[in-house]
Amino acid sequence: MDLSQYAELFLAESREHLSACNQLLLEWERTPANPAPVGGLFRAVHTVKGMAATMGYARVTDIAHRTENLLDLLRRGSRPATDELLQLLFRARDALETAVELSVVGREDELDVAEVVADLEGAAAHLAGPARSAPVAAPAVEPAAAPGGGRLVQVTLRAEAPLKGGRALLVLKRAQGLGAVQGVTPPQAAFESDDFDGRFSFRLDSSAAAAEIERVARGAGDVEHVSVGGEERRAAGPRAAAAAGAPPEATPEKGRHIRVDLRRLDELMDLIGELVTVRGRLNELAAARRDPAVDDVAIQISRLSADLQAGIIQARMTPVWQVFDRFPRLVRDLARELDKQVTFRVEGKEIELDRAILDELGDPLLHLLRNAVDHGIETPAERRRRGKQPEGEIVLAAVRERASVAISVSDDGRGIDRARILDRARREGLVDPHAEALSDDQLLRVLARPGFSTADAVTSVSGRGVGIDVAVTRIRALGGSIDIRSEVGKGTSFVLRLPVTLAIVRALIAGVGRERYALPLTYVAETVEFGVQPTTIVEGREAIVLHDRVVPLVHLRRMLGVSGDAPPRCPIIVLEMGERRSGIVVDGMLGQQEIVVKGFDPPQGTLPVFSGATIMGDGIPALILDAGGLV
Amino acid sequence: MSHTVLVCDDAIFMRTMISDILAQAGFEIVGEAETGSQAVEKYRQLKPDLVTMDIVMPDMGGIDAVREIVKQDPDAKILMCSAMGQQALVVEAIQAGAKDFVVKPFQPSRVLEAVQRVLG
Repeated sequence: MDLSQYAELFLAESREHLSACNQLLLEWERTPANPAPVGGLFRAVHTVKGMAATMGYARVTDIAHRTENLLDLLRRGSRPATDELLQLLFRARDALETAVELSVVGREDELDVAEVVADLEGAAAHLAGPARSAPVAAPAVEPAAAPGGGRLVQVTLRAEAPLKGGRALLVLKRAQGLGAVQGVTPPQAAFESDDFDGRFSFRLDSSAAAAEIERVARGAGDVEHVSVGGEERRAAGPRAAAAAGAPPEATPEKGRHIRVDLRRLDELMDLIGELVTVRGRLNELAAARRDPAVDDVAIQISRLSADLQAGIIQARMTPVWQVFDRFPRLVRDLARELDKQVTFRVEGKEIELDRAILDELGDPLLHLLRNAVDHGIETPAERRRRGKQPEGEIVLAAVRERASVAISVSDDGRGIDRARILDRARREGLVDPHAEALSDDQLLRVLARPGFSTADAVTSVSGRGVGIDVAVTRIRALGGSIDIRSEVGKGTSFVLRLPVTLAIVRALIAGVGRERYALPLTYVAETVEFGVQPTTIVEGREAIVLHDRVVPLVHLRRMLGVSGDAPPRCPIIVLEMGERRSGIVVDGMLGQQEIVVKGFDPPQGTLPVFSGATIMGDGIPALILDAGGLV
Repeated sequence: MSHTVLVCDDAIFMRTMISDILAQAGFEIVGEAETGSQAVEKYRQLKPDLVTMDIVMPDMGGIDAVREIVKQDPDAKILMCSAMGQQALVVEAIQAGAKDFVVKPFQPSRVLEAVQRVLG
């Protein structure tokens, strides 16, 4: 049978179980006296073992088997977890994870598991104690003629038969169908021992022919040899039982759930994208025709394709826990390593995001969490000095907001020392030399400059910049934004805002010169008219004041270098990302429509304000403006 | 008419593989269960000709599920799916009324042999 077809399923399911192991181990570590998590751990490892054995992955099976043994001992003993044991179990889990990942790509041999295997063995031997060496039953006794009435039946199971005790019991059960069974040797209790060698005898009170008794005994499977009443009978041929009747005709029927390769969903999404584009064209044609019959069809097609699109997007939605679940372990390990005390909370695990976005989130979140533990949370001593609980708290939370999802990483640590950052930013010419303070936005801009916090910044500026440029770049590429809030002594929080899906978004279509540009609605707050609102100059930038807030303006025409004059009255599209706002001045508004986002390789020298391209209803491409780059 | 089967295992991987092996041999997979209590419930609903039963499952384990099913239907034909090292559990399952067992890793031929023994 071709096992490779099951490899992906094996991988996906093993990952789920190993992720569950992490959660359970963390839970156990929090309350070591409560052995409740051990049952779940045992089951998870046991399941991985069974799957790995089926796939023929020897190393995974081996580590899982030994881990399972240890867990079984812990489970039976209802023992509290010692720190040493927990560390070993964490290590074993990690080794399993590595082994699983390497196995499916055929690199199992690269893994050296000797050390963890030896430690698992040692721990199990220690737990089992001396009682283990006492044999359950004397197994090697040659089954002799058992006393009592009836005919003596002696059975030898095939040497390669697994779990011989179970098989022997099946033989006895079948024999009981012919008459009373007595004098089982060795006693039945020995069947439960792993040492049982597959030779046993019993007395059967039956008038059935010897051949019949043998046939019935062999029917239990894996029987090598049967002798009845001293009259020895040999097997007619190996696997006599195997030929028992051809299987019925094939009518394959599968279960109710299927797993779908993500690439198939991507393909479907592409097709839907093309359908949406054509739908746009159809709508334009229908509008030009003014034929009610055509209108009707166009409306129906619009509705159907919208449903289809919603269905496919739904199929791509994945709960954030699939990425979040690895973080509790990471935060714990890091805190341990740095001698910090951290409680880690995760909220909104069930919030869903497009799989493609979720897959990109792991690294940025990792950077932010690492920073929070390393630079945000103070040492227990320092926290005490500041009148805080010695244990710091980090919260990772997901919240759905309109068309986007906000994911925040907050700590209650020392906060960022703005004075020092400002100082440095001034020296490096990143801000106005006369700037008195850094707003949150400016702070993020400074921190997110590649290489800003290298060298001494890592220590003097609490290293906040480490990886932030990476995180910001990644989130921006997904059409999202990052905001920062930080207060000295109180803590820091980063908020990532992301569109729920990447592939198809509703956008405003704006005209500048002879080109059209699309602006995803996700971050559009409102539109106002330029020339109606008085403009003012704030920090050297033209701005309008809207709802008592300053909104700096960006003239797209100027920015894109379009020649000619702008029309006298231009619309301003106000973008909002968290607390940041920006007004984009365009020539005209051409309406709203769904656009299909296509990847985009900007030619050199292109302004960093485009996130992709799309095909309009008339087949002409338009660039998609990146809200993050404009705000 | 082909025999109907209820496949009980907490791992989708295992259910898929067992279902594939049996479906290719012409059996009709009429249901799947992830826990012992689901297995009992589905047995009641579906009355399958054969049940494959994992031993270690959350909620209610396979052996307890065997007891419950046999209580409902003493003729239930249940094939245990066990792993190496589960000798005592397999013995217990057979005492509870399981008709046969196969040991992971599964070889399709061994699974089909056991199924034939149970149904035969």
